[in-house]
Amino acid sequence: MKASSAKWRWLLVPVGLVASAALAAPAAPLNLPDFDALAAKATESVNISLDTSLLGLAAGFLDPSNPDDAATKELIAGLKGIYVRSYTFDGGFAYPSAQVDQVRKQLAAPGWQRLVQTNSTRDRTRVDIYVSVDRGLANGLAIIASEPRQFTIVNIVGSIDLAKLHRLEGKFGVPKLDLPPESRDGKPGK
Amino acid sequence: MSEGVENNQELERRLRSVLGAVDPGEGFAPRVMARVAAGAADTARPARAGAVASWLAFGLAASVVLAFLLAHEWQARRLEQGREARRQLIEALRVTDEKLDLAYRAVNTREGGAPPEHSGV
Repeated sequence: MKASSAKWRWLLVPVGLVASAALAAPAAPLNLPDFDALAAKATESVNISLDTSLLGLAAGFLDPSNPDDAATKELIAGLKGIYVRSYTFDGGFAYPSAQVDQVRKQLAAPGWQRLVQTNSTRDRTRVDIYVSVDRGLANGLAIIASEPRQFTIVNIVGSIDLAKLHRLEGKFGVPKLDLPPESRDGKPGK
Repeated sequence: MSEGVENNQELERRLRSVLGAVDPGEGFAPRVMARVAAGAADTARPARAGAVASWLAFGLAASVVLAFLLAHEWQARRLEQGREARRQLIEALRVTDEKLDLAYRAVNTREGGAPPEHSGV
């Protein structure tokens, strides 16, 4: 598990996306558009909005004597909000470009920087990862992922240690990916 | 014999004089009614005070029971909200990690498996 978390360094190092970001003021949450039309067509929807108070409430229900719960509590300590919209479809779906453009406009504002953009025509998958940076410290994260049968937007407000998040892999139903051993070590796969 | 008869007559006379009707005078009836009313008031006061005390005790007990039920309801709702928040938190972290992995795999495939050391940020 320790070795597998190393693969996130490529994401962490460039912006120093570590817990030290607690000094930075948290970014404002993105104004996520209404995806009702998309939800109506989806076979599975995830609509999560956890603001500071709900995160605090959730943290209160994490058992500090349980190592996984304790790790989760530590992970969310610097967070001010987590917002997730994810829709899964049986067949193909129309990419909600208008709504996503609304989100991208917000991410074009000063303070937000695109960290990663992947676009696979073969897999018909596109993932964009943005970070909000304040005085050199990351204080927010946004992910827009479009897959053939799934569309997802994640917005995390506050500082999050992605390595810690990844250490939760395999816990609580966080999927443990069956990556080749060399990939799990963060080394070149080929 | 005649002495005994005389004694009896004397006794009867005395009894008649003692037990004879006496005029109570004017205002007797109102005086009696006033006394009756005063007596009734004296006996009613403690009874009313007892009833008030009973109602107060009942009200207090009802308030305590109501407060307990409300607190129990609030706690049950809070517990439900907390469990739901915890479930949502874990689901949100699961989705986030899944999408970060998706990006990681895409970058690995594109760049021949080499994670970018610098993304240009």
